[in-house]
Amino acid sequence: MKSYKALIAIDLKLALRNRSVIFFNYLFPLIFFFIFGQAMHAERGAAITMVIAMVLIIGILGNGLMGAGIRAVHEREANILRRYKVTPITPAPLLVASVVTGWILYMPNVILILALAHFLYGMPWPQSMGSILVFISVAIAGFRAIGLILASVVNSMQESQLIVQLIYLPMLFLSGATFPLSMFPPWLLLITQFVPASYMVTGIQGMLLRQEGIGANLEPMLALVLTTFVGLFIAYKLFRWEKEEKIRASAKLWLLAVLAPFLLLGAWQMHTRSGIAKTKVLNRQLARGDTYLIRGARIFVGNGTVIENGTVLVRGGKIAEVYEGAGPDPKSVKAEVVEAEGKTILPGLIDVHVHLGAPGGFYPDMSKYDPEKSMLRELAAYLYSGVTTVRSVGDGLDSVLKVRSTVNGGEVLGAELFTCGPLFTAPGGHGTEYFTDLPANIRANVEKQFTRLPASAERARQQVDELKKQGVDCIKAILEAGAGGRVFNRLDTGLFNAVAQAAHADDLPLAVHTGDARDVADAVQAQANSIEHGSFREAIPAAVFDQMAKQGTFYDPTLSVGEAFKDFAAGKTGLLKRSLVQQVGPPELLQGTEDALASKDTESMRAALSRYPIDMRVAVDNLKRAHQHGVSLVTGSDAGNFLVIHGPTVQHELQLWVQAGIPAAVALQAATFNAARLLRAEKRIGSIQPGNDADLLVVDGNPLDDITATERISLVVFKGERVDRTALFDQH
Amino acid sequence: MSSTSPAISVQGLKKSYGEVEAVKGIDFEIQPGEVFGLLGPNGAGKTTTVEILEGLRPRTGGQVAVLGFDPDKQRQRLKDRIGVCLQATNLPEKIRVHEAMDVFASFYSRNVNLDQLLKRLQLEEKRNAFYGTLSGGQKQRLALALALVNDPQLIFLDEPTTGLDPQVRAEIHTLLEELKRERRTILLTTHYIEEAERLCDRVAIVDEGRIIALDTPSRLQQQSRNASSIVVTCATQFPDPRPAWAEATESILDSNGHTLTVRSRRPAATLVDLVKWIDQQGLELTDVRLKQPSLEDVFIEMTGKSLRQ
Repeated sequence: MKSYKALIAIDLKLALRNRSVIFFNYLFPLIFFFIFGQAMHAERGAAITMVIAMVLIIGILGNGLMGAGIRAVHEREANILRRYKVTPITPAPLLVASVVTGWILYMPNVILILALAHFLYGMPWPQSMGSILVFISVAIAGFRAIGLILASVVNSMQESQLIVQLIYLPMLFLSGATFPLSMFPPWLLLITQFVPASYMVTGIQGMLLRQEGIGANLEPMLALVLTTFVGLFIAYKLFRWEKEEKIRASAKLWLLAVLAPFLLLGAWQMHTRSGIAKTKVLNRQLARGDTYLIRGARIFVGNGTVIENGTVLVRGGKIAEVYEGAGPDPKSVKAEVVEAEGKTILPGLIDVHVHLGAPGGFYPDMSKYDPEKSMLRELAAYLYSGVTTVRSVGDGLDSVLKVRSTVNGGEVLGAELFTCGPLFTAPGGHGTEYFTDLPANIRANVEKQFTRLPASAERARQQVDELKKQGVDCIKAILEAGAGGRVFNRLDTGLFNAVAQAAHADDLPLAVHTGDARDVADAVQAQANSIEHGSFREAIPAAVFDQMAKQGTFYDPTLSVGEAFKDFAAGKTGLLKRSLVQQVGPPELLQGTEDALASKDTESMRAALSRYPIDMRVAVDNLKRAHQHGVSLVTGSDAGNFLVIHGPTVQHELQLWVQAGIPAAVALQAATFNAARLLRAEKRIGSIQPGNDADLLVVDGNPLDDITATERISLVVFKGERVDRTALFDQH
Repeated sequence: MSSTSPAISVQGLKKSYGEVEAVKGIDFEIQPGEVFGLLGPNGAGKTTTVEILEGLRPRTGGQVAVLGFDPDKQRQRLKDRIGVCLQATNLPEKIRVHEAMDVFASFYSRNVNLDQLLKRLQLEEKRNAFYGTLSGGQKQRLALALALVNDPQLIFLDEPTTGLDPQVRAEIHTLLEELKRERRTILLTTHYIEEAERLCDRVAIVDEGRIIALDTPSRLQQQSRNASSIVVTCATQFPDPRPAWAEATESILDSNGHTLTVRSRRPAATLVDLVKWIDQQGLELTDVRLKQPSLEDVFIEMTGKSLRQ
């Protein structure tokens, strides 16, 4: 032990007397810290975590490859090791001292960088400080070991310089340590999964940005530990004391043995893609971490108030402050400025009634239709249109949950998703008609995903509880007997009540599809949280509306789907020609739908649908009376049905409401704050208040005067990120 | 190890590098307290031999015991007990003298007082100096000091004065003589004949992987086939022909005829006869010198090579 201590002590002293060690361990990372800090606007927030990760990795690479590797070769070349050779020590204390010294030298730099980030750039002290220090320690040891084995397989200083560069440069450029990973195309991201330094970048960032612990970075931790031990063992076995002892060229393959843990990890990541997903999430979070002021705009707060000239400060993905007038000096809040004179800032719009599993029309070749991929694209289309939140009320459970986690986790950019999962209905009830043509074996499976057909009250409760466990956000039930040739089995009232009770007991909002006045009455009676559709064929009694107003049941008239239904039956495709629909709709879908409607193939379908009683006057009247009775309104479109294309749905619903005579302010509140209340997320979304998520829609003009202004989108902000709308569809 | 057993015992030592036989069967013993010199031209196998004894290299064949240890099998224990001063080693430029002493001392189970050792090697004033600032002599003294930190009874010195100026070499020689007086066993390899003559109790001459002669320096000189020579110079030219003097083997006259070199098996007898003859001839004798054969002469005679090839 004596020799270990003495060698560590002297290694440290020698390092501190060596200018290049001080330069590469301290000055060099610091220089990069300030350059990256300036370039990436670290003062504005999350970018500081990127800067820290990059700078620390550059330092660790230098510390390992140059500090351990080149130095070990130098000691051999300068006949220093030759002197040690005649003493009783083995290579072990020399190798261990090198690793320990590297660690001791580097850790103060880690603390220094974190402190600078805290004091200069206002980064909060990381919560997972312990994990960060452990992770960095393991990384230092791993790279020291790589340096040492490198030293043991090269035959000259020249050769070591070459091999160090061969490892150093790719690690620098392919790990995100110098170019942010967000700039990388997908194929290059795959390559990064084989580069040990990448895991260090994402690991450190994850710990700083997402308070991840060691657990979330267990795989790279293990790989680094393995690298350390394998590296030290091989370096011991191949250790040479004299420059005259040459090693055969094939020994250089041992380098691969050290990198093997990461080759395996890379291969594993190719399979799971979790590393890439994590990288995307981190990039997302970085983009969401910016600080800026949107200045000089009308602010529609969402909860009923309007600020005629105000400024919103966005920081760390949240609305940090809302000001009357021009707000503070941008420098004092370290913010960039987005001038928004003449514009209106609204909370991101919310559509509480969509079906992501249906495209809203016909693809020329439906066999190529991939629901999951399509769902992601649809959520991007919503975001493009300033609809920052949607609720799916009837979709295949597994796929919608998967899409929800992908999008809400930030891996793919798209509107925030809430979902009820499958629908509760009766065998042969509404919702089952879509599957009647499927082969029996497929049908059973699909029905399991899309519907719940409880046979008893007990079973109904069980099914609700199971969905709760699987993580749905709400429960959707169907009360509909149909009409005009479309007749359905209606869910037994007892079963429906059981579903409702279970949903309430599980604290899940209950959304009820209704067809006629009786359905609405039964749903309200069961204290449904929202009435979906209301009725397109019967007036809803005033007493029912009063009851709704009293108990806080929301009314979602979904005028859009009624209008679309009628258009479809009539063969009209005007809805597809709206500007935003043209922008977001997949061209083959829009064209396919036009073609289908023009062809004779859909004639019989249209004829059948035209018999179904849809009376827009009744629907509009119900809406107006609901408003008059003080019922809280919410906007839903039922997108996914024919001609209701996912995307700018809320805008069109709002237009239908305003045409019907609902005041624009009421309609806009329904589309924002009320909808958020229905989703039980009003503390986070639906209004422009400090502390809320920064989900904003900035439009030209004043939608309170002209509701179509909601379609003239200037900027969409989603969780603090200023969405690059044109790039949204490139990510799929 | 009992006091009578040899410090080093080598029997039939062989070492091959692939096809090349570097050491072809060497036998010798070194007694405790003895200073033993290994002489030989480069590539003779002496470095290989020494490195095998130091435990740095495995042997191919033969029996070796160093302080009772087998250098192949008890490498670490052997290294803990010996002191080694290699040529062409270095220390980091920015290590201080006393730090180097501390580090090397930490490698051994037994240490001497390091301050006294520095004093003894006249390095106490340099104890805080960086290695890079030391002169060649100081570096070599430090190398010796490092070889002594574990108070070794057996010391290997590889060319300890090569490249040093004469004054420094004399200093080192004084030190080595001190070590010799302390009855430490020393195995010395050297290019300097006078070093071997001055320090070594016995010398082995190694050539092409074999020991071709092994004895005390003086006996090696006597064994020389060419005996001593007598060089006489006269004011006038020597006459020709000249007689055969007692015990003389050969006489050579230089080109101007004034200096005569006479080789002899027994120079004393020859000299008496030669001087008597010069007197009879009426020659005026201006100078008489007796020349002993040097170890170098012996070496060249035996190996046909110069030591410093």
